[in-house]
Amino acid sequence: MKNNKIKSIIQAFFTDLLFWIYVFGCSYFLIHSWFEIELTNTNIHILIAALVFTLVFLSFGMSLGRKIFSPTKLTNLKWKKTFWGWTIVFLLVITFVVGWNLVEVNPYKFFTQFKNARGISSGIFDPSIIGYKLTEKSFEELRENDVPLVVLEKLERIKNKSYTTKKVLSLDLKKKLDANELLEYKSSIFEYAQKNSNMLNIALSALAETIFLALLATIFAIPFAFVLSFLAARNLMPKTFLGNSVYLIVRTIATIFRSIEAIVWAIIFSVWVGIGPFAGMLALMIHSIAALTKLYSEQIENIDEGPVEAIKATGANTFQVWIFAVIPQIISPYLAFTIYRWDINVRMATIVGFVGGGGIGLLLLQQQQLLRWHNVGVIIWLIAAVVWIMDMTSAKVRAKLVEM
Amino acid sequence: MNNIIEIKDLHKIYARGTHALKGMNLTVKEGEFCILLGLSGSGKSTLLRCMNKLIDSTSGEIYICDGDVVKATGKTLRRIRRQIGMIFQQFNLIKNLTALTNVLTGKLGYVSLGHSVTFAQHKADMKLAMDNLKRVGLLEFADKKVKNLSGGQQQRVAIARALMQNPRVILADEPVASLDPATADSVMRYLGELNKKDNMTVICSLHFLSLARKYGTRVVALKDGEIVFEGTPKEIDEKKFKKIYGEEAEEVEIK
Ligand SMILES: Nc1ncnc2c1ncn2[C@@H]1O[C@H](COP(=O)(O)OP(=O)(O)O)[C@@H](O)[C@H]1O
Ligand SMILES: [Mg+2]
Repeated sequence: MKNNKIKSIIQAFFTDLLFWIYVFGCSYFLIHSWFEIELTNTNIHILIAALVFTLVFLSFGMSLGRKIFSPTKLTNLKWKKTFWGWTIVFLLVITFVVGWNLVEVNPYKFFTQFKNARGISSGIFDPSIIGYKLTEKSFEELRENDVPLVVLEKLERIKNKSYTTKKVLSLDLKKKLDANELLEYKSSIFEYAQKNSNMLNIALSALAETIFLALLATIFAIPFAFVLSFLAARNLMPKTFLGNSVYLIVRTIATIFRSIEAIVWAIIFSVWVGIGPFAGMLALMIHSIAALTKLYSEQIENIDEGPVEAIKATGANTFQVWIFAVIPQIISPYLAFTIYRWDINVRMATIVGFVGGGGIGLLLLQQQQLLRWHNVGVIIWLIAAVVWIMDMTSAKVRAKLVEM
Repeated sequence: MNNIIEIKDLHKIYARGTHALKGMNLTVKEGEFCILLGLSGSGKSTLLRCMNKLIDSTSGEIYICDGDVVKATGKTLRRIRRQIGMIFQQFNLIKNLTALTNVLTGKLGYVSLGHSVTFAQHKADMKLAMDNLKRVGLLEFADKKVKNLSGGQQQRVAIARALMQNPRVILADEPVASLDPATADSVMRYLGELNKKDNMTVICSLHFLSLARKYGTRVVALKDGEIVFEGTPKEIDEKKFKKIYGEEAEEVEIK
């Protein structure tokens, strides 16, 4: 009884303290950013002020913590037009204002600076899957089609130069040829400027890299996650000290590893094994092991215990119980989760590529840095197509697996 | 005839404090067909599950087929368990495996891990499993997934699985409670046959007195974790029935 009272006072005290620290912290932040007032030792001042307010208000019985931890349901308390009701409103307002400042929300920029994104948006709406290039062969073909040598000589300078669109090529043609020549030969030059799909090829092979990188990361993660999931399943681990410890350790490590984003792993591994798809694969693999272990073990915890008991009752040993009663029940959800994971990994592989994980992400980064917006457009559309196809097929396959 | 099951002063208290068995004493002779009667919550399942140590008993002694169930662990426990076939109300088959594979799992207590994952290579096991399926009239369903079978068929697969153990004792926990009356009787007929032809000892919990009278050689009635009646099925008259099931209870006839 007494213990409970002390516990509830301590809970209330720390809740109130946090509340006041938050209020003073936010207020200071606002004063600081609006009036540019600088205080020394702010942290200590805030803490002391919060402590004083907490103690004063607590002793007058005005405590948010007591309200929250009181046995009455929160919804049954009177919030309207009470001191704490107003406090909550104040808290929400201050949070919103501070948030607005911190995030540097600026609607003006949003509506007036669209022109900055013109490069990339024109790239997206005009991806240059097909490029133009005057190769040796194009020159021969032009000659055979009675284009005079004078004209061809003028074009010598742009031989083998790649153009992403017709428009860019015609700009160069205008510089090289005079108006009459241009009028007469433009269409045949366009016709024989060999269409080259180099960018598409490069992007496709980078995309294949990404898909296979994601696939390998998933496949390599499966055996680890499979074994770990049995150790992380509450209902399979014996209720002994050893069983409980194994369960707790595996669960904790999986949770920690899962909460570290794949992008962080990619940064680590791109230093470790060098920039490239291997680093990306390792990053996705680590993250997948942790994520799959959790999903798999939850699946084991949800199995029908009946068959497990029935197999135990035949005199089977633990491994036989796993093989005959547990695995048949989890195999199709496992497959479904794995395919889903592959789907997620393909998406993550793109992001991971940005920080050194290779594949289409890396290509996208390079092209973006070179400001080749039409190439960026190609890459973005390819990524979108793959994600869309994977999404659809994996949903279909998973639906089929659930029926199994 | 010798005693195949001996239970002395058995108590079971669940983790949350329910005292489910209060000093149970029970002796079963080899070849008996013993029916457990009693309301839901009277402790029938608890008693049956203590008998093959699916749950640990709190105190008391259990001897089955000359084995000390309470003390047994690991290999010793599995040796005892393989002589005891168990039938469940919910069949407890592995639904997405075939009937044949389910029957084969009855052999697990006798074989090594390596053997059990290569059953298909062991002709003797396959033949025995097929024979047992034939015996319960399901030979043509051998390669069907269990989830595509009807309730009665599933329970017969479960009986074939138990048969695969070549058991001396069969524990059946409300084996017909999820079946319609006609199917219920056909399933009970198989259990009766195992008892008479193969001399297997059967302990079976039931709710229907008519089935108890038809197949049982002995009735044990439980109430709140204690035995309130022991005798032959014929001895149960209206007065005894009310004692077991309460004053408002009315016997329903099932043919
Ligand atoms: N796993 C369990 N945990 C706690 N109490 C249980 C558990 N299983 C059964 N009980 C309780 O034990 C008593 C006997 O239940 P049970 O053996 O299932 O009876 P019956 O099979 O005759 O219906 C009941 O009061 C029930 O609530
Ligand atoms: Mg029961």
